[in-house]
Amino acid sequence: MVERDALRAWFAREVLPLEPALTRFLRRNWRRESDIPDLRQEVYAKVYDAARAALPHQPKAFVFATARNLLINQAKRARIVSIDLVADLEALNTPFDEPGAHRQLEAREELRRVQAGLDLLPPRCREVVVARRIEGLSQRETAQRLGIGEDTVERQMLNGMRALVDFMLGGSGKLKRGERGRRADRVVTP
Amino acid sequence: MSAVEIEKVAAHWRLRQDEPGWTAQDEAALEAWLAESTLHEVAYVRLDHGWRSIERLNALKGAKPTAQSRRSWRFAPQLLAAGFALTVLGGGLFAGVQTGAIGRSVYATPIGGRQVVPLSDGSRVELNTDSRLRASVRSTHREVWLDRGEAYFEIAHDPSHPFVVHAGDQRVTVLGTRFSVLRQPDGRVRVAVVEGRVRVEPAESRGVSRPAIMTRGDTVIASGVSLLATPKSEARVDAQLGWRDGLLIFDQVSLAEAAGEFNRYNKKRLVITDSAAAAIPIGGRFEAANVETFVRLIREGFRLKVEERGDEIRISS
Repeated sequence: MVERDALRAWFAREVLPLEPALTRFLRRNWRRESDIPDLRQEVYAKVYDAARAALPHQPKAFVFATARNLLINQAKRARIVSIDLVADLEALNTPFDEPGAHRQLEAREELRRVQAGLDLLPPRCREVVVARRIEGLSQRETAQRLGIGEDTVERQMLNGMRALVDFMLGGSGKLKRGERGRRADRVVTP
Repeated sequence: MSAVEIEKVAAHWRLRQDEPGWTAQDEAALEAWLAESTLHEVAYVRLDHGWRSIERLNALKGAKPTAQSRRSWRFAPQLLAAGFALTVLGGGLFAGVQTGAIGRSVYATPIGGRQVVPLSDGSRVELNTDSRLRASVRSTHREVWLDRGEAYFEIAHDPSHPFVVHAGDQRVTVLGTRFSVLRQPDGRVRVAVVEGRVRVEPAESRGVSRPAIMTRGDTVIASGVSLLATPKSEARVDAQLGWRDGLLIFDQVSLAEAAGEFNRYNKKRLVITDSAAAAIPIGGRFEAANVETFVRLIREGFRLKVEERGDEIRISS
């Protein structure tokens, strides 16, 4: 068994940086955009569960193999995609390059990205994040300073956190509207 | 639950964790939620990881997302404190209010300090870390001597009384403008102009050099009669003045240069022990007083070895 802290650290170090590539891979090979967050989450969970026993030696290959298998199973289960697609998926080459080659860029890039991600937030949301995260004000102090309710502060923080994390991991940094109403038509995976 | 919904719950937990009043029971409830499903666990780990990288915003304090929000977080409290830790030698307690027996006020800042000095003619000088300035501002003349360090000047317009800055072997003359002067330890003097016109010339020209006239966006480095002008860039001049907000702003400088800059502001000295590490290019905005965050970032980001010995932080690859 891998210790939880070690597992989490490994996941953050080796798997999460693959998020942009993984998201692109899923998007290229799956038609329904609205399924992508769920598929990605599912890949993460499968990789994480597998790594509990032992950390994979080649995380990148492992993540993409997992993604490919998941897509194949989903396609088979959904019965809405043609056999061709499944065949294509099986033949699919997963993106592969040298691990760690870009690490030097990452630290600098990361700082730029934090700033860029902040700039992308809607003004009110950004104010809340700056007050709380950078100035270190409490929820109440932030509410008083900005003349808004504490529940608004909390909601803006939740949105800000999700958007920033998404952006830091290579996403657009914008929260998609209408996520709420989509529950009914998504493919539920057991 | 969809991934998006799980993420919202995870975000809620993660934020509450930072709140005061997070109890052992809360911790237990979070653990229970995480144990329910690996989907919960990965959503939480993902947010936590991303959020930690945003924690490094501390290194970006003072960056400018919007015009309005900027002012409010311009000064970190510890920088303010350092700024007030001013040593006044000889002259009056407040700038320009009194002058000492020899008719000059002396202002000095300790390492990490910063001080705004209002002069009696309405001009304003901001002293950077480890700097010393003498001022003689009268109705008949306006003269200051930058004995050490760096200063930013906002000079009240007065065509009949040019304002003269003596910095080492250079003389900088202005009518009314905004600019900065840095005396580097190697004796060279760097002048950067934010606004207006500035004349830079050797203190003793002996007829061999003509004065350089600088305008907005110009930076020159002068030593004796030699003068190096860099291509005009207002962005560069702004970056050079990041210290006024307590920031060091680097655009692709080497780690060695960045360490040298940090060492101007901190008692704890960064020492880069090998040339491979020294050459790593660095960009970004950092709090000048927060050398710890900088070290943490380069250690994590560049996988460098860090060893602390007393007042020295030794960095190697």
